[in-house]
Amino acid sequence: MKGFDPRFADLPDYILKITHEIWEERRLRTLDHYYAPDIPMRFPAGIVHGNRGTIDGTLATLAEFPDRRLLGEDVIWSGDEEAGFLSSHRLVTTGTHLGHGAFGKPTGRSFVIRAIADCAAKDGTIYDEWLIRDASGIVRQLGKDPKRFAAKQIAREGGPGKAARPFAPADDIPGGYASRGNDNEWGARLASILTRIMDKDIAVIRAEYDRAVRTEHPGARGGWSWDFAEFEWMNLRTAFPSATFAIHHVIGRSDPAQPHRAAVRWSLDGRHDGFGDFGPPTGAPVHVMGITHAEFGPWGLRREFTLFDEIAIWKQILLHQGDK
Amino acid sequence: MKGFDPKWRDVPHFVMGITREIWEDRAIASLTHRYAPGLIVRSPASVVVDNSRIIAATMATLAEFPDRELLGEDVIWCEDPARTDATTDAFLSSHRLVCTATHSRPGMYGAPTGRRLAYRILADCAISHDRVTDEWLVRDQGAIVRQLGHDPVAWTRDLIAREGGPETCVQPMTPANDVAGPYDGRGNDNEWGARYAGIVSRIMAADLAVIPREYDRAATLEYPGGVSDRGWSGADRFWLGLRAAFPDATFTIEHVIGREDPLMPPRAALRWSLHGKHSGWGAFGTPSGAEVYVMGMCHAEFGPFGAAGGAGLRREWALYDETAIWKQILLRTGDL
Repeated sequence: MKGFDPRFADLPDYILKITHEIWEERRLRTLDHYYAPDIPMRFPAGIVHGNRGTIDGTLATLAEFPDRRLLGEDVIWSGDEEAGFLSSHRLVTTGTHLGHGAFGKPTGRSFVIRAIADCAAKDGTIYDEWLIRDASGIVRQLGKDPKRFAAKQIAREGGPGKAARPFAPADDIPGGYASRGNDNEWGARLASILTRIMDKDIAVIRAEYDRAVRTEHPGARGGWSWDFAEFEWMNLRTAFPSATFAIHHVIGRSDPAQPHRAAVRWSLDGRHDGFGDFGPPTGAPVHVMGITHAEFGPWGLRREFTLFDEIAIWKQILLHQGDK
Repeated sequence: MKGFDPKWRDVPHFVMGITREIWEDRAIASLTHRYAPGLIVRSPASVVVDNSRIIAATMATLAEFPDRELLGEDVIWCEDPARTDATTDAFLSSHRLVCTATHSRPGMYGAPTGRRLAYRILADCAISHDRVTDEWLVRDQGAIVRQLGHDPVAWTRDLIAREGGPETCVQPMTPANDVAGPYDGRGNDNEWGARYAGIVSRIMAADLAVIPREYDRAATLEYPGGVSDRGWSGADRFWLGLRAAFPDATFTIEHVIGREDPLMPPRAALRWSLHGKHSGWGAFGTPSGAEVYVMGMCHAEFGPFGAAGGAGLRREWALYDETAIWKQILLRTGDL
């Protein structure tokens, strides 16, 4: 890979190795060169601008969960050395809540959640990023309620007037990556499935998913077969029935010795105007940043991994109520 | 598929199709022709000979769990040249299923608890002449019992009593009560099967260091008792816990399949046994000295993230029946 240290065999190797170095080998200052100085990191909870913020955020997380492990499950990627690569990296992360931090007083409890990071990389440096962690999965496993946790977070940040605002498209800062992915048929297929679900054509799940599909969703919720996937997607959509669904980035891959797979970054932007996972409708303006990974098999979509941040959604709803 | 109803496209279609017809579409009577007369079904809990008893057991299970669904996750299969002839093709199919059900009627598991169950089954079936001719099956009994709210040891002790005590209760499968069936194949020669057999054999030879060499660091692991684990430490915990309980037992690989199919990662299916004394501390408590036969089955998928840039074991599903092991221990120790 031109512009990358020759010790990296390919893009997945680069992503897996630098993740290990930064987090597990504690080499936080490698972020000085692995991350661009003015990188925008978009989290559902808000945007962090610049690699100094990234270093501080990494330190804070490690101080709170010092045994945190990051197990890279997959890297679904597109692009090239000239245009820049985009890596959609799915991880299982584990840790024990031993230090003070964003999750409050140490509880001594452990968590296992997933995260997906979309990183743009060129010349050995990551310069643009979108990252979704299953924050409500952590919150639940630490024994807390997501809504109450979001309310406490607002209070700890100084109340509705001062609390950090979750990410909204108006806050976005361009980072330099402009591609919308690649043209592989499996990416197009996943994008089409998600679009039909969001068009309330829920029957697409029975038509396209393997009957024995395993689905992993936020809140560390996982289940089998069509009814679990239907239940999860219907509950999300019904909380925001009039929101606008948009697809931002689509990757499909057919690699040797791997199933066909896809990574899609999407959003749901609009009002909290329906009953669903987020209580009675409040009319709050809400932006849901989502990423979905899928593996296809001979009997349809066989494994689905979707992340959005339920804590960031609760925070937007509660901030709206506090504003009134 | 010569010798099979032309409606079946391939081995997975046949295996998943007849499973659906029998269990979910309630064509239980089709077992009279889907299963060969005198068919032997070996599970860790028992050796069942003949169709009439299989039909009875199927009805008993469905009566207790009427909404039972059998979700076929994979079928890993091989040719069976020794039983292929001018009239039929022959195969061995290793079928992995997730079974979901509600415990809504009284039965073998006692008064209905209303609980929802989800557990795995691995079933090896020899097939030819449009029917099943031989079978080995492991159900995750430890997961079922726990999800119903029981302790596996206490439940097994109670089962022995409900079956009439140690003299008359159903005997778990051992080489002594096994009945030879028509299938005597050992699988195929695909490299992924050989690789997986090599990994498990090295683990059983106490070379646990094979795990970080051969497993993906982020491997997803599904183990008996409905346990989901991950990574090298998860694989280490499971396999070490088993071997430590039976450190001197004889480990035998009974059957090996490897496959590379379109739309699928390379994958493998093993059937194995561990036969000897319960002489160590491990997954089964205080060493009892009981002679135990562990019938095990496992599936694996390989991916690109192994050591040194090579392939790594990315997903593993291993099953044995904890209650059948405890039954052997309780019967031998008399701790009833």
